[in-house]
Amino acid sequence: MPIIEAKNLIKKYKTIEKKAGITGYFKNLIHPRYKEFTAVNNINIEIEAGELVGYIGENGAGKSTTIKMLTGLLTPTSGQVIVDGIVPYEKRIENNKKIGAVFGQKTQLWWDLPVIESFRLIKKMYKIPENEYRKNLKTFTELLQLEDLLEKQVKNLSLGQKMRCEIAATFLHNPKIVYLDEPTIGLDVLVKENIRKFIKDINKEKNTTVILTTHDLKDIEDVCDRIILLDRGQIIYDGDKQKFKDTYGNSVTAEIILKNKEENITQKLWEEDFEIIEENENNIKIKFSHDKTTIVKIVEKLSKYGNIEDIHMKEAELEDILKDIYRGVKIC
Amino acid sequence: MNNIVHSTQLYLSFLSASLKEMLIYRLDCIAGMISQIVTQLVEVIFIWITFQSTDNIAGWSFQQILLLYGVTLISVGISDFCFDALYDIGPKYIRQGDFDKILLRPVHPLLSIIGASKEYSALGYLGLGLFITVSMLIELAIPVTFILIAKIIFFSIIGAAIIGAINTIFSIASFWTYKSNEVIWTFYRMYTFAQYPIDIYNGFIKFIITYILPFVFVAYYPTMNYLGMDKYLIWLSPLIAIVLWFVAINVWNWALKKYRSTGS
Amino acid sequence: MLKTMLELGKIHFKEYSIYKSNFYLFTLNRIVEVIVYIFVWQAIYMQTGNTGEFTIEQMITYYILVVSLSSIATWGINEDMAHSIRTGKINKELLSPMSYFKYYFGINLGEIGFAIPVSIATFILCAIFWKVIMPVSIMNFVLFLLVIVLIIPISFFIQMIIGTTGFYTNSIWGMQILKKSIISIFSGLIAPLTLFPEWFQKIANILPFKEFIYTPINIYLGTIPLNEIGAIILKLVLWIAILYLIAKIFFEHAVKKITINGG
Repeated sequence: MPIIEAKNLIKKYKTIEKKAGITGYFKNLIHPRYKEFTAVNNINIEIEAGELVGYIGENGAGKSTTIKMLTGLLTPTSGQVIVDGIVPYEKRIENNKKIGAVFGQKTQLWWDLPVIESFRLIKKMYKIPENEYRKNLKTFTELLQLEDLLEKQVKNLSLGQKMRCEIAATFLHNPKIVYLDEPTIGLDVLVKENIRKFIKDINKEKNTTVILTTHDLKDIEDVCDRIILLDRGQIIYDGDKQKFKDTYGNSVTAEIILKNKEENITQKLWEEDFEIIEENENNIKIKFSHDKTTIVKIVEKLSKYGNIEDIHMKEAELEDILKDIYRGVKIC
Repeated sequence: MNNIVHSTQLYLSFLSASLKEMLIYRLDCIAGMISQIVTQLVEVIFIWITFQSTDNIAGWSFQQILLLYGVTLISVGISDFCFDALYDIGPKYIRQGDFDKILLRPVHPLLSIIGASKEYSALGYLGLGLFITVSMLIELAIPVTFILIAKIIFFSIIGAAIIGAINTIFSIASFWTYKSNEVIWTFYRMYTFAQYPIDIYNGFIKFIITYILPFVFVAYYPTMNYLGMDKYLIWLSPLIAIVLWFVAINVWNWALKKYRSTGS
Repeated sequence: MLKTMLELGKIHFKEYSIYKSNFYLFTLNRIVEVIVYIFVWQAIYMQTGNTGEFTIEQMITYYILVVSLSSIATWGINEDMAHSIRTGKINKELLSPMSYFKYYFGINLGEIGFAIPVSIATFILCAIFWKVIMPVSIMNFVLFLLVIVLIIPISFFIQMIIGTTGFYTNSIWGMQILKKSIISIFSGLIAPLTLFPEWFQKIANILPFKEFIYTPINIYLGTIPLNEIGAIILKLVLWIAILYLIAKIFFEHAVKKITINGG
């Protein structure tokens, strides 16, 4: 029994077609003309408890709309959402007790008060038992390095500090499901890593289901096991992250240092199973695919043109693969 | 001199930018204007109620008090229209961190801020003030001469400048508290004291609104002049406006310097 | 649930109290507002020897109570709510584990918690400068307080209605001023209602605003017979029910609109 289940989910928006000028303004007032726009077009999602899911796609692909429907903030035009046995947009409060959410840099913390005051209020609002609250507070303080922040006023925190506190506030009531919409936007690398590690640790410890939407694919790379890729309102991939990489990103780049290299070997090797993408005086960069050739074969060939001193290999990263996909390389 | 011309040009270009912005929020603005007028009608009702129990207040008739009220409202309208942005310095600019951007502009920050937004709904005040003033001039059978019109226009602008300068002085509270708009508003509200003949007040309040926050020069002495009750005090108004602005700009620069050196 | 609401109130109160200057400022604010009225009536009294049906002491006490009560009666959450709608913070609030009404009622309690000391301070300060009449009896004072407690939910539901208009316009500022003006006229804030024309008093008798200012003050001054108080309380309870329904339906409608059309 999946904890989140979305069936044939469709969301259409009506927008008023704006007419220019004063007369247009009054025309709009009297007889507005609507345009329909499908943000989410018939998607099906099943997520099991404890999964770490990366929900990705370009701007306007429909990510936020989906998240809003899953949290109950939006009612679907058609289709159905069931989250842990209830329909979120029908029983909002009941659903809210079980979930947590972070929306970008918007914070639920009380601006003028010390952070700890907001935590105490959250404890009261979610009726978190005293010992559980203490335990969570202690763990979170350690994991997110909050000790010096708890007594500070929120307005005096830096963005990174604020987001760490916000993340802690979101997980404080042991939510079964957490929706993270761009939780690392605008943060520096160290804070990002800190937050990623926190999400993984909590997931391991409490089996929290996490849906993560982000434009920083390092987040996904680090945190998620499963990817759902959305394009123009439709799911174009849903499955294991590693498998995604293996299937669509089996190209490898390698930098090979060649001493006493012959000149212009690119022209001599253009018919081979690998591609030379860059050639310099002492090194070349190549790209190849595992199912066509191996690095041993390549090295063998290259050794005829110089003395090989060193090889650096790099597996394709999620970002490279997605770039290819967004550029129009079709997945079928 | 060059500087003043340049500043005025800048101010006008700010004005046209904010006019465009206003057009976007037409409906909100009209609603704002109507509600402004309603607020003022509440005060008019108060005056009307009090005159059910008497035929004069400190020797002023109902029409004379309303004239004073109308003349005050004209200045308040102009002042609110021009200087409303002062209320935003604390809650909007400093709290949201936009103030640093303002400091980077090649213009005096005060001009940047005052120029940035115009409160169009204050035109409701202005309209109502003009309406009451004109009606009362007719009711009181005061001949509306060219000189009188010129005087009313000139001294209304001077009155607005006095209110604006006082608001500017108190707007330095923005550098210390986000609730600066409350500070400005509290002192600004004291203009309402000068909407009645000052003889009704005790010495303390008279002293405050004459010497400390000279609101009596906004409309009270000018109106006495229009009514023929006083000849000379009206001419102090422009002088006071100039002194107040001199003080305001210096106080503001001093506060800004302090703010910059502490950083927050 | 009440405990959680009180907790919300407490935190909102704390946020206010961070700036101690707020307290002095708001108190000064109140006093500035009342001064004109008192001096005008004093001037009239000196000339004519009468101020409507009230004695001058009653009149002065009336206005001092007006400013003390007006903060309790008119302060509230509508601006907070409009702000959260404007900035999208409302999405987070809608995901909180308590209903939106309860959440904001809690915050409203904090607002009132701050208004009460301001009211008391205003009253005490004014009592130093002017001669103030004390409540005519303990019973009258208790009933005075009871009416004030009953206007808290009325004021709150009105604010929820105004706040909800924030879903439809960019700024609720105009609505807020309109609300304040309507309350000022019909509550007896600018002048005791008996000084108004007959037809006006008839309208004021039906609307709930009279109980914001005029009724409690007259209970305090002993100018309303105590046997009329039952009817007043009944009227207030009825208005609480009516305004609750309007606020609830309007809010649900607005939320439905955003959950269908997006924020």
